[in-house]
Amino acid sequence: MLATLFGFVYQVADTFAFLILSASGLAIIFGMMGVINLAHGEFIMCGAYVTVLSARAGLPLPLAMLLGALTAGVVGIVIEYLVIRRLYKRLFDSIVATWAISLIATQGMLIVAGPSIEGLKTPFGSFEVGGLSFSSYRITLAAAALLILAGIYWLFVRTKFGVRARATIQNPAMARALGVDTDRVYALTFGLGAALAGLTGALYAPTMTTVPTMGSAFIVQSFVTVVVGGADVFLGAAPAAAILAFIQSLLTASYGQLIGQVGLLVTVIVVVRILPKGISGWMLRDSN
Amino acid sequence: MKRMNRFRFKPTLCATAIVAGSLFSGAAAIAADPIKIGLLEDQSGNFAIAVIPKIQATELAIEEINAKGGIMGRPVKLIHYDTQSDNTRFQEFARRLIQQDKVNVIFGAFSSASREAIRPIMDRYKQLYFYNNQYEGGVCDSNVFVTGAVPEQQFSTLIPWMMEKYGKKVYTIAADYNFGQISAEWVRNIVKEKGGTMVGEEFIPLSVSQFSQTIQNIQKAKPDVLVTLLVGANQASFYEQQAAASLNIPMASSVNVGQAYEHKRFKAPALKDMYVTANYIEEIDSPESNDFKKRFHAKFPDAPYINQEAANAYNVVYLYKKAVEMAKSTDMKAVRKALESGDICTDGPSGKVCIDPKSHHQSHTIYLVHVKADHSVEIPKVWHDIKPYWLGQAGCDLTKKDDTSQYTPSNPPKK
Amino acid sequence: MRRTGLLALFDGPQTAWNGMSFRLCFVLAVLALATVPLYAEFFVVNNLAYFLLWTFMALGLSLIWGYAGILSFGQTAFFGLAGYGYGVVSINLGDAHGLTWVAFLAALVLPALLAALIGYFMFYGGIRDVFVGIVTLSITLVFETFMAQTAGPEWHIGSARLNGFNGMSGMPALTVPWFGGEDVMLDGNTFFWFVLALLVVVYLALRWLVNSRFGNVLVAIRENPDRAEMLGYNVRRYQTIAFVIGGTLAGVSGILYTTWGSYITPSSMGLTSAALPIIWVAAGGRKDITATMVATVFLIWVSQTLAVKGAQYALVLMGVLLLLVVLLAPEGLVLATVRGIRRVVLRVTGRRVATTAMAKRTEGS
Repeated sequence: MLATLFGFVYQVADTFAFLILSASGLAIIFGMMGVINLAHGEFIMCGAYVTVLSARAGLPLPLAMLLGALTAGVVGIVIEYLVIRRLYKRLFDSIVATWAISLIATQGMLIVAGPSIEGLKTPFGSFEVGGLSFSSYRITLAAAALLILAGIYWLFVRTKFGVRARATIQNPAMARALGVDTDRVYALTFGLGAALAGLTGALYAPTMTTVPTMGSAFIVQSFVTVVVGGADVFLGAAPAAAILAFIQSLLTASYGQLIGQVGLLVTVIVVVRILPKGISGWMLRDSN
Repeated sequence: MKRMNRFRFKPTLCATAIVAGSLFSGAAAIAADPIKIGLLEDQSGNFAIAVIPKIQATELAIEEINAKGGIMGRPVKLIHYDTQSDNTRFQEFARRLIQQDKVNVIFGAFSSASREAIRPIMDRYKQLYFYNNQYEGGVCDSNVFVTGAVPEQQFSTLIPWMMEKYGKKVYTIAADYNFGQISAEWVRNIVKEKGGTMVGEEFIPLSVSQFSQTIQNIQKAKPDVLVTLLVGANQASFYEQQAAASLNIPMASSVNVGQAYEHKRFKAPALKDMYVTANYIEEIDSPESNDFKKRFHAKFPDAPYINQEAANAYNVVYLYKKAVEMAKSTDMKAVRKALESGDICTDGPSGKVCIDPKSHHQSHTIYLVHVKADHSVEIPKVWHDIKPYWLGQAGCDLTKKDDTSQYTPSNPPKK
Repeated sequence: MRRTGLLALFDGPQTAWNGMSFRLCFVLAVLALATVPLYAEFFVVNNLAYFLLWTFMALGLSLIWGYAGILSFGQTAFFGLAGYGYGVVSINLGDAHGLTWVAFLAALVLPALLAALIGYFMFYGGIRDVFVGIVTLSITLVFETFMAQTAGPEWHIGSARLNGFNGMSGMPALTVPWFGGEDVMLDGNTFFWFVLALLVVVYLALRWLVNSRFGNVLVAIRENPDRAEMLGYNVRRYQTIAFVIGGTLAGVSGILYTTWGSYITPSSMGLTSAALPIIWVAAGGRKDITATMVATVFLIWVSQTLAVKGAQYALVLMGVLLLLVVLLAPEGLVLATVRGIRRVVLRVTGRRVATTAMAKRTEGS
């Protein structure tokens, strides 16, 4: 009984972590900036590849992960400068641009690094509860998800950069008039989103197969979580991920993976129908 | 409301546009002397990992044949299109090979879905086609020959062996589509037949990459043997995740190791105690195999792994050569007749294999591959000359009656 | 000032090219296409039909996204539903006496009904903007996931096996009962002519629609839904109707694709397939149906040609091409190309490029 209960809690935490981490970079790039980033999965893939390669070259795993996130962030800044910068006034075209980047990145990685590279071993081993054994690393993932949420919140709400970033995105002309270097803010914000995606890839790298198409495993979950969360990503993402994780885990545990997957998508449809502005829109309904 | 800019449309523009449009028409194919082999394989996309060795093996076989004077003195020309792991590309290029390139035979396809995408086209144009890949079995099609291993060859050997060694309680996790479901059905039937019990069966959509719940379910059911019929990069993540959770149950599979060499790509001990029945893997230490590896690596020094589908793809070229030589023609009806003679065999990387006339499938040497804790492999048992018996017994006889169906144990041919 | 007459029905402010010279051009282009089977190889005709059959889905998306401002990420749900619908009905009825047309019609009604249902659910439920995209994407992915696991023999409708992820096959091609008993199967040239004729009809109908009062209201809703509502238009009804038309057109593509290859698969409703129409429409210039139509055919042709010639670099080159289109042609591939050609032609003929002339309308306003 205890084992079953713990098993369920563990499962919800695991799914929650996956949804939050999938969504973390996208919450900024899509949720805040409005860029429909279909290359989100490829930033994740980039983070994972750098992590795996540098860890195998001898770098300690935490540093390798950091390097993975940083690389994705730098790539993000370069892409912002070369491409995305020209699209802020026509955000729909970002679909085509990021789709194109995704094609180039996936197939380019296949050409450069081959169809797959040798993975890493998951750290920390396992522990037992009531006769069932669990992977300790997945608890770490859940903790990392919470930390990242808190970090994003702190960065955008409590720091000067965060205030400038939000001001720039809400009203660039006004921000510029007040002396904010908006080009730089856009680039940094986009780079931050990309770095977070890279961090997600880095964190999941030891648990997944490292292949060029690995980003696609995250993409649906990421968009779904961000959109269900609603316009205010700081408020919405966590409750959205919590609700979706709970329902998906319950359905998966009771009726198997198929119903879990379908149930997640049906939940999204139902939540959006009930709360047409997402969860944060509903939470802020009085102030509007 | 913003008004759209508009132009006067000049007839000159118009003419340019139409000329540009006529660029669509390709150059007409020129009928020539060589025997043309069409190849549809995924060099890009999801399946590239298992397919690239197939393409290389096909190129190797054709190069060897050409070096020895071709087929009946005619050189062999390979026309390969990259199908990008995309079913619609298979459809487009199957038609292109048939209608524009007018090839003598078509080889290839990895996923069963891509094979099913082009089979209606092969049947509509009566095109001779070889599916050179392991699959869920049951295709009884007059125009199609299959050289990969099928469930009766892989499971009738694997499952009894595992039950004898580890115990009679079996749990299956399988990809939730045709391959997984049909293979799981085979496992279920064999377990029952041999007096074992299924303590669990779980089907997993192809998009799933996170397996914590599945790992819990397996632990609760306490099986002696875990049959993993997982497919694709997403699902391959299961192995690392089960190792991290210390699942420690011997595993059996018909797809892993032999196709996408998971034991090379994952850190040990993710695949510890995995048992696979494959009709070829690179580690096989026999004179035929070593000779094949030497030639393969001479041509492709950077090849990461030579998988079982590479051996299938290699054999198919030689089987076709034999059939053409027997028929003394590339006429598809004559070649089919030769292939149905029962005398078409080749000595490939895993020894002698032959085409079964009734079902158009192929006999195989089946190797039991055991992955050890350090991911080195041993081969505890070899079964020679395992026939693709099921379709023939179930009532598919293409030498007597034409057909284009795919059958399963629960949906056999109507007698 | 407004011209009257039948032809003027197809012209108006919502289509980029109007007037006599465009009409001439259009007729010439259709004639040029229609005569391709007279000289080209069987394969070329077949392949051309294949390019054209996708344009219906793109045109539908152009209407609901470009004109009505609703970004649907799930047009493939209608595509797939129609494809499976055609398969199920035609396998059960068979292809005698033109019964495939019953299947054709049934398979059109299905996506129309689904679109009406989803449209009602979304637009009357206040769902807007990106939320529409996510709801429609979720719907198509639910279909895909569900259909992928219907491999077993227990999943059948009548005598039609759904056959899971591997896809349904064995449906007959469209047939026309002909004088003298023998039915004519639409394959090769006949199939091509049929697709072309259908495309001309649909294209003209859409030209008429977007330039009618209905189309103008749609554009007004795109530009400012609140203002349109204030002016007394029933925004939700307009959006739902546009969505139904778009869904039905996606269904037309689905049926044609299914008969072309005798095959329909759940992956045609997956994420990659769902993104493709959006790419075609966005890169082509979504606010004009002519641009969308031309760009769709062009992009499918390019991606196929690249796959033939480019080996493993094909997808990379396709990505580079799309990136260049977005960066260099903000108004869309077709509009930019026409503008470019025009500039060159004017320069060659030595006439000065007058920006005012560029913007000048063909007809008086």
